[in-house]
Amino acid sequence: MVRRYWRRGRPECAGHEWLAAAAPEKIMQITVLVALTLLVLTAFGFLTGRRRALAVRARSGPRLHSLPNYYGYYIALWTGGPALVLLAVYGAFGSGLVNTLAMSQLEREAAPLIAEFERQLDSDSDFIALLEEAAEAETDALEAREAITRARDAGLDPQAFQAALAGHTTRLTEIGARLGQRRADIARTVAARAPSSDAGIRARSGFEFWNSPRERRELFLADARAIAFGEGLASRNTPELRAAALAMRPVEDIFRYSVAALALSMAVGGLAWGRSRIKASFRARNRVETAITGLLMFASVIAILTTLGIVFSLLFESLRFFASIGWRVGDFLFGLQWSPQIAIRADQIGQSGAFGAVPLFAGTALITAIAMTVAVPVGLFSAIYMSEYAGPRVRAVAKPILEVLAGVPTVVYGFFALLTVGPFLRDFALFLGYEDAVTQSALSAGLVMGVMIIPFVSSLSDDVINAVPQSLRDGAYAMGATKSEAIRHVVLPAALPGIVGAVLLGVSRAIGETMIVVMAAGQGANLTANPLESVTTITVQIVTLLTGDQEFDSSKTLAAFALGLVLFVLTLMLNIIALRVVQRFRERYE
Amino acid sequence: MNRPASIRTAVEARLARRHRSERRFQFYGAAAICLAVAFLCLLIGSILIQSVPAMTTWRMTLEVELDRQTIDPRGDMSEASLRRGGYNAAIQNALRAQFPDVEDRAELRELFGLYSSVNAARLLNRVVQDPSLVGRTVSFTLPIDDDADLYLKGVSVRESRAPGPAPVRIERREGRAVSLASDTAVFDAYVEDVREVARERARTLEQRALRAEAALADTIDRDIRAIYEAEARRARVQAERLRERLDDGAPVVLGPQIPSLLIQVSGAVIRITEVSADRSSAQGEIVISAALDEAAHADWTLWTLETPQAGRLISDRQIAWADALRERGLTRSGFNTELFTYADSREPELAGVLGALIGSVLTMFVTMLLAVPIGVGAAIYLEEFAPKNRITSIIEVNINNLAAVPSIVFGLLGLAVFINTFGLPRSAPIVGGVVLALMTLPTVIISSRAALKAVPPSIREAALGVGASKTQAVFHHVLPLAAPGILTGSIIGLAQALGETAPLLMIGMVAFIADAPTLGLSGFTEPATVMPVQIFLWSSAAERAFEARTAAAILILLTLMVSLNAAAIYLRRRFERRW
Repeated sequence: MVRRYWRRGRPECAGHEWLAAAAPEKIMQITVLVALTLLVLTAFGFLTGRRRALAVRARSGPRLHSLPNYYGYYIALWTGGPALVLLAVYGAFGSGLVNTLAMSQLEREAAPLIAEFERQLDSDSDFIALLEEAAEAETDALEAREAITRARDAGLDPQAFQAALAGHTTRLTEIGARLGQRRADIARTVAARAPSSDAGIRARSGFEFWNSPRERRELFLADARAIAFGEGLASRNTPELRAAALAMRPVEDIFRYSVAALALSMAVGGLAWGRSRIKASFRARNRVETAITGLLMFASVIAILTTLGIVFSLLFESLRFFASIGWRVGDFLFGLQWSPQIAIRADQIGQSGAFGAVPLFAGTALITAIAMTVAVPVGLFSAIYMSEYAGPRVRAVAKPILEVLAGVPTVVYGFFALLTVGPFLRDFALFLGYEDAVTQSALSAGLVMGVMIIPFVSSLSDDVINAVPQSLRDGAYAMGATKSEAIRHVVLPAALPGIVGAVLLGVSRAIGETMIVVMAAGQGANLTANPLESVTTITVQIVTLLTGDQEFDSSKTLAAFALGLVLFVLTLMLNIIALRVVQRFRERYE
Repeated sequence: MNRPASIRTAVEARLARRHRSERRFQFYGAAAICLAVAFLCLLIGSILIQSVPAMTTWRMTLEVELDRQTIDPRGDMSEASLRRGGYNAAIQNALRAQFPDVEDRAELRELFGLYSSVNAARLLNRVVQDPSLVGRTVSFTLPIDDDADLYLKGVSVRESRAPGPAPVRIERREGRAVSLASDTAVFDAYVEDVREVARERARTLEQRALRAEAALADTIDRDIRAIYEAEARRARVQAERLRERLDDGAPVVLGPQIPSLLIQVSGAVIRITEVSADRSSAQGEIVISAALDEAAHADWTLWTLETPQAGRLISDRQIAWADALRERGLTRSGFNTELFTYADSREPELAGVLGALIGSVLTMFVTMLLAVPIGVGAAIYLEEFAPKNRITSIIEVNINNLAAVPSIVFGLLGLAVFINTFGLPRSAPIVGGVVLALMTLPTVIISSRAALKAVPPSIREAALGVGASKTQAVFHHVLPLAAPGILTGSIIGLAQALGETAPLLMIGMVAFIADAPTLGLSGFTEPATVMPVQIFLWSSAAERAFEARTAAAILILLTLMVSLNAAAIYLRRRFERRW
């Protein structure tokens, strides 16, 4: 098991020569040509259908079932529909199919190299020794882990075992690195043995691809496609990549031309078939309307598909992440240390606890709390003032202004927090004698985020306060209450569920907000409650892991998805609760 | 007898208190609204103020001699040969012609730092378009380097000029060194200023030492004590050294930490390196030379650059040169058109938003093409056709929840599905457009449903009554009436997508892209960036000149969004029907 795991080594890092690729005009042209032809055929189909229907009516006695245009639509649907669906499917999956076919061909050619590599791996004494050492360390680590569990169960302090476990883990990491190194060395010598002829380079290309872990494969394919068809820029340009590109081109050509031919023949066939069905008694309108309803239904299903896409992509990638950290989900959710920079790779056995997300959750909670202390009072009081006190003129001015606050892009708030609020707060803290003040602090991000959330809280609260029946207020006035007493003792308690819903929605927005915190809250994963320090949040780390100029390493990428899953689940729960609460509130007064 | 009166006073007192609390409550409400408005004003105001330096830019116009040999190395006037010409060398020669006495290599590098060599490409394009320019002298206008630009705008350097109080004799030594001498202490004011600055710094250092010592007294932990001790000692030593230098008897040696002093006399500029102890004479070096006679000069200027060299990115010499170019009428300030006509660049003076604007247009086009038809279709289905069953209610709940999903999650979806699974290109407007379309879809659906719901049922019933099918009733009668509302909702959704940044970071639209994408079909798959991402990129750039440009880019984005929203409001006002 351990050994198989190690078959997938990591190849040397890609150099970053950015090379412009050949112009891909031909590709575009053929696809565009086919699409245009389809459009012309569809229009032609519509006209044929209409004309034929009119001809039928002119020729014979019985009335047409539908208006002539519907016969046109019917034929147009049969002409354009299937062919366009085929093109769309090809657009979505064509490149993947081409890649698979071309690379499997190259891998077949690389079979001797692969066999040689496996033979060398099996006979290499260093490698075998390392594997044995790794297995030993793995067993030790397992034992240490069991010992910790036993000690915990027995109510003892497991600290000594934890130290031992940490030692084993470091050893595993070390062995892992050496294993990877050795593997890469062997791979290099094997690859160097292939001749520099075309066939040899093709074999080397297949070997490099076979020997790459998943994300390297994706990069390899993307680069090869870039060289072959000019899709984007290649990150490097090696003979192996060029060989792969050359292998892809003919496959792609065959596919493209056959798909084009198939699409056109489907269009012509559809036209002919539709045309043959047109008779006076043919119920064209019903057919067309069924198709339209189907399309509309598909449109509304897209929202469901999006949700499913989110759930499955996040779940799938998170599962891969948890697999890569050895299924220690608890360490991820409750670990106190977050330092993905020095973290393990996907292909290492040893794991360190660097993916503990608690500092992120704490940072998110701190910033959200600061934001809500700004947004809730300001938003709630402005909602009360606008719905209970303000005249129509004040309302007409104040409401749009609050809406403008909601419409300002978050990146603008981030800029404001970074260059205006942050320095101001730092100078103010320095003035008050707090020496360690920094520009990127939880306070500046939280304050600005609070401003951003004011309109969400105020407009939702405004709605719920307006929804409280006037009879309740009248009752309070009849008892001699002043306006503020009526609001505080009658209206607000009645509107409370709705207000809670509004605040929850605000919280969910604060948790998911990205740009303000990315720009103004800093990167350091500090576990602190001090608002003047810089903290990091879930969203900041997702952005950092997926965009930073650190190496694009798989565990880190996957960790971003795991964080995304946490974020999604968290906001979804808040939303569901909030929407439910607001719904209940509405039902009570409707 | 007495009791009613006491009740009355008690009630009155209580009433007064209740009214006070009423007023207080009302005041809180008004204050909250005022606070929100104040935040908005502060936000817009600070961005407006920050954007001011980016509105104009200083450009210099040089007479560049396009020497046949440097421009056309092969001598056949072919385009390939012209493209290999030494355009940067030509510009460098033109700049050297202005300051002939700059010879030292390091100084030349400083001089050429007044413009960015990227401008040579512009000169190249001009020559390639019009080869007849070769061999002639053309006047070439190029934006000046961002640091010099900020200096000329008076943003980055504090400076002051004062007439020389008494005549000064200038004597040339070997090389560029000169010595200045006068009968009175003409440098007194400058030295006093420097002393004042040094004294101030010594005082702060001593304060810091005192604070560290105070903290030391309170601390028990040994490691922390060591830190405080070292801090206190360091501050004391530095302060003492400063005090020593303040000693009256010593000459003042000018360094990067203290204000610089330049002397302007009949067209020449001298940079002072040392002022003697009696403050009447000084040593210096010539930066810009002119004919200086031996007699005493009465008309001269003390030019103090109060921001020390360590606190600015432009050197004393560059300031002198930039100032001389301005005096000679070679630089001119004008509206910053580069901001609108150029794509991104590492050089702030050549960076513009054109690329990001085109990227935004392409992305929004894809978003509009997907989100509006799908959103409206879904709304029509849910509002008009869908049977009221479990599936429909699931779809409805799902759409409401989707509207509140954080935007960054849509970015993760795009990365996992469109880029990793479908293999679509990274950083491309088409992927960005699809992701933003999925994000705006709930907004479009919800607003379209509201618009459809507002059409009274009588319209549908009338259509059905005269024999229309359900589909005909919806598409021929209900939809046209709901169109203004649908359009308004769609435009607001698009404006929201236009300002969105986070999901686009996930799909790699955050790369530095120096070329504007093509405004055509192939542009959809080319790497591009959009306005909000450009703002994000510029805001994290190191150069100070980007700060103002970021604010200017924000203003452009806000203008776009305001016009979109204004269009939505206009449409609503123009076509809205109340039933």
